[in-house]
Amino acid sequence: MESLSDSAIMEKVRDGQVEKLAILFERHHVKIFNLFLRLTGSHNLSEDLVQDVFIRILKYRSTYEGKGKFTVWMYRVARNVHVDHLRKNKGTYNLEDQFEEPESEEDSPMHALEQKKDKELIQKALSQLPVKKREALILSRFQDMKYKEIAELFGCREGTIKANIHRAVKQLGEIYLELQGGVPS
Amino acid sequence: MTCKKTQEMFTEYLTGRLSKKEREEIQTHVAECDTCRRELESLTEIWTKLGVLEEERPSDRLRTRFYSMLEQYKQAEEEIVRKEKKGLFSRLKNLWPRKPVFQFALTLGMLVMGLVIGNVWTVIPQQEAVNKALVDEVQTMRQSLAVSLIDQDSASERLQGINMSYTLVNPDDKLLDKLLSTLNSDPSVNIRLAAVEALYLFHDHPKVKKGLIDSLSQQSSPMVQAALIDLMVSIRERRAVDALKSLLEEEGVNPEIKDRAEQGIKRLSF
Repeated sequence: MESLSDSAIMEKVRDGQVEKLAILFERHHVKIFNLFLRLTGSHNLSEDLVQDVFIRILKYRSTYEGKGKFTVWMYRVARNVHVDHLRKNKGTYNLEDQFEEPESEEDSPMHALEQKKDKELIQKALSQLPVKKREALILSRFQDMKYKEIAELFGCREGTIKANIHRAVKQLGEIYLELQGGVPS
Repeated sequence: MTCKKTQEMFTEYLTGRLSKKEREEIQTHVAECDTCRRELESLTEIWTKLGVLEEERPSDRLRTRFYSMLEQYKQAEEEIVRKEKKGLFSRLKNLWPRKPVFQFALTLGMLVMGLVIGNVWTVIPQQEAVNKALVDEVQTMRQSLAVSLIDQDSASERLQGINMSYTLVNPDDKLLDKLLSTLNSDPSVNIRLAAVEALYLFHDHPKVKKGLIDSLSQQSSPMVQAALIDLMVSIRERRAVDALKSLLEEEGVNPEIKDRAEQGIKRLSF
């Protein structure tokens, strides 16, 4: 009955049917892309990182044990990709690159402008959160992960995650307020 | 509940994961406690604000890059397998005798053996050429090959055809029809399951969506039914709800499947 579960498919990939990775790609690439997009704010960079995640899944496929949820394992790979990227770039982003936007359909130019500003501001505030807090918050807010799963991913207790996410939201609120004060309305 | 305890649950409250009872406890507490209410309000504000970061779609480039990476990886793997075979031959070199007399005898023996084997195995180089052509194949070639494999009598060949369709980015109608008819009428459960997996990749195609929904009522194997139900849920295909409902009413359907269909309906209607 488990023919379609992520885990069963990943086991097949591990055992040599690498073409089945395509199924996992189709299921998860948009989610991972959005995780990176929220972590980094850059479209191009996020696409590069998604590609890295799937390259690593292939490279380390033999280490997949099939215990626990596949997505937790996948997000662990994604976290490593992100951390390695930060290490390589020492956290310096090109600001021009960071807040680029795809062209969007807009109902009214003013409204779209407002929304764009809002988005930039919240993305900027997010990028000022310490990395771990940012990751935990995004995983919980957008990636539909339970505290238990995030704790498993980070290798810590559920209580720690709960407290950290609470602090992250608070801190984000403070940063956002500060940034808003600096922007003429 | 104490303030500390209540506040600890705030972010979980925001994710909507708390039980009804827990939610009510928090609501009762904040109705009476100003400090906690302000805290919850400010958390809610920023939590909601995060909603402006809507889910976005990556460009098509990402998909193209992924599939070419996968293809390259497979080719590299095949290359490694070939090299490993070569490595075996170099180890055989150590078996070469030192004394010229034995060298001569062994050579003679090998010559005779070579003549015999050579006669029998002239087919091998041709086979390798075919394999190489397969590796280099362009999508269209793979496509027609997949179609013709799926037509074969042998189950393993049909399976091979379905596996081949995994690597295609834009399958044509002919292949999609073939996969759908395999899903509905192949005698082997395993092959029908493989067809479900392959069709999952192309679920964006309107024809495939409709075909998958229609197929639900035609399946008799619980395994295939379960796979189809899971698929509908994972692609959030709401139009499948009717088909799932009629599955519930049908007689002779495995009770476990009925359960699964019922859960599927719930998750799709959510």
